[in-house]
Amino acid sequence: MIELLQVVILGATLGGVYALMASGLTLIFGVMRIVNIAHAAFIILAAYLTFWAFTRYQLDPIESIAIVMPILFVLGMAVYRLLFTRLADSHRHAEMTVLLTFALALVIEGVLGSVATGTYRTTTPDYASDSFDFGPFYLPKGQLYATALSVILIGALLVFLRFTRTGRAIRATMQNRAAAQLVGVNVARLSTLTFGIGIALAGAAGSLMSFLFTFFPSTHWQWIASLLALIVLGGMGSLLGTIVGAMVLSIAAALVSDRFGPTWSPATFFLALFVILMLRPQGLFGKRAEL
Amino acid sequence: MTGASAQPQPADRAESAPGDAARGRTHRGIVLVALVVALALFPLLQIATGRFNYWLHMMLYAFMYVAMASSWNIIGGYAGYISLGHSAFYGIGGYATGALMTFCGISPFVSAPLAGLLCFALGLPVGLITLRTRGPAFIISTIALLMLARLALDNTESLGGADGMSLPLPDLPVQTLKLPFYYGMLAVAVAAVLASYRIRHAKLGLGLRAIAEDEVKAEAAGIPTRLYKIIAFALSALFIGIAGGLWGYYLTYLKPTVFFQILTSAQIVLMAILGGRGTVAGPVLGAILLVAADELVVAKLGSTELNITAKGVLMLVVLVMFPEGIVGTLRARGRLPRILDWG
Repeated sequence: MIELLQVVILGATLGGVYALMASGLTLIFGVMRIVNIAHAAFIILAAYLTFWAFTRYQLDPIESIAIVMPILFVLGMAVYRLLFTRLADSHRHAEMTVLLTFALALVIEGVLGSVATGTYRTTTPDYASDSFDFGPFYLPKGQLYATALSVILIGALLVFLRFTRTGRAIRATMQNRAAAQLVGVNVARLSTLTFGIGIALAGAAGSLMSFLFTFFPSTHWQWIASLLALIVLGGMGSLLGTIVGAMVLSIAAALVSDRFGPTWSPATFFLALFVILMLRPQGLFGKRAEL
Repeated sequence: MTGASAQPQPADRAESAPGDAARGRTHRGIVLVALVVALALFPLLQIATGRFNYWLHMMLYAFMYVAMASSWNIIGGYAGYISLGHSAFYGIGGYATGALMTFCGISPFVSAPLAGLLCFALGLPVGLITLRTRGPAFIISTIALLMLARLALDNTESLGGADGMSLPLPDLPVQTLKLPFYYGMLAVAVAAVLASYRIRHAKLGLGLRAIAEDEVKAEAAGIPTRLYKIIAFALSALFIGIAGGLWGYYLTYLKPTVFFQILTSAQIVLMAILGGRGTVAGPVLGAILLVAADELVVAKLGSTELNITAKGVLMLVVLVMFPEGIVGTLRARGRLPRILDWG
């Protein structure tokens, strides 16, 4: 029983990080209907930036979020301006944007691969290998800090969306793009901003990932597959669904990993995806698919 | 073409006189058959001189991608359902062929088509589930399918697990070793392109294109959209499965990291887009161009990373500058050579 609880605790503390990784993805999908296949590539890019800051300038991975986030924010807006603005009202928007982000993921992977050497990387701040003990349980410090930060960032995002004018405009656009435009929301500008925010969140997640997992340019494919499965489970475009989905899947993956071995834990995400498609194609918190 | 025709004629060819179009079709048919015959005779050079092994290799590699890109185009081009996980069927085809050979002693040239049929059969239930959703969720589930298949084979110890398994070398001298593979891949390529052509000019193809245009209207018009999509999905798995089966035996080993790569999918998708998604000739042209370009780039630069970057950049450029691909763009400008106008 205690062992089982321990597994659940470990799973739950990673759930926050998964939620952070997927929240940018959900935001971008919700506002612009773009499935950002390159999202995990941006996360890995941020992890490498953090890694280089750590090895060259001894910058703490958590502190480097303050640098990585703005860089990715600007990068995200630039990418959106360059590639997606023209497509906003395109007839085959969904297909085109998926193919574009797919190509973008290839470019990021290729560039990272030629800059970074061919070994798995990770940053090693002290807290990455330390843990808190309480009673019969233990909690790795790295995971705890990462989850706490994720909760703070997601909280800040929710506050921003709820209480600021821009945030309300973003939510309105998520609900109904055409209607938002009618009541005077500058959807084009808002989309650029949202893409930047989404990528900035990916940046923060990348910094956290740098000390939680080992990474390598091509590992972004596994990550994006899991993250996408997660947002389908949550109901695409629903932030609440994303957070709940992240928690549920993270704990489930931890249990599967404990029972069947760690190689099977990613399978949890994919199997969950197929099960949800069979039972409830619109996801846990999604609206019925707009036909 | 007079009276009610069983094959619906695409509107874009209506401008030229009917007799003219028919004559053009016959000419084109003769040229293309001559091309296939020439390709079938090409190995005679190898038998005579023994100096064409490299060419045979490159050509059978190109045939494989012609088959796969044309196959993918059935669901990804005609129906507009982008699959990024079709290399799952490539791997399943490879492994099924390898398993049939290792455990049942069946020749790969028999078992590869069987593996293709298995992929077709697998494509039906997979399509049934994944095609419940549209657009984004479908694409996502195709990626998940690929990852799941790879995980499964990574953990199947009887098939070598993550280390993979090696297959026996075909019992042939080096001089003629490549010939059966050459003809096998040529046959798959011709079959895939013919199937793609027939579908494009049949009721199924018309229905799929209606789905790509507007699925709700297509359904309202009485097209069994669900059925059509599932058939298209399964058919597009068929030829990719056969190609994977032959390729595994050709390489003489099977490995999850080689056969279940998303980069293979990327390659296939890029070929179809470059040539022209939703056209018959586009994927063929795209595959040949990209295999040739790949060979030049790899020979010159010799780096996978640069290769990946170049592919990504090329895909971005094509998508942004001319999303209809070579064939589509040329047709829109009325400059498509008749030899490539396959509908």
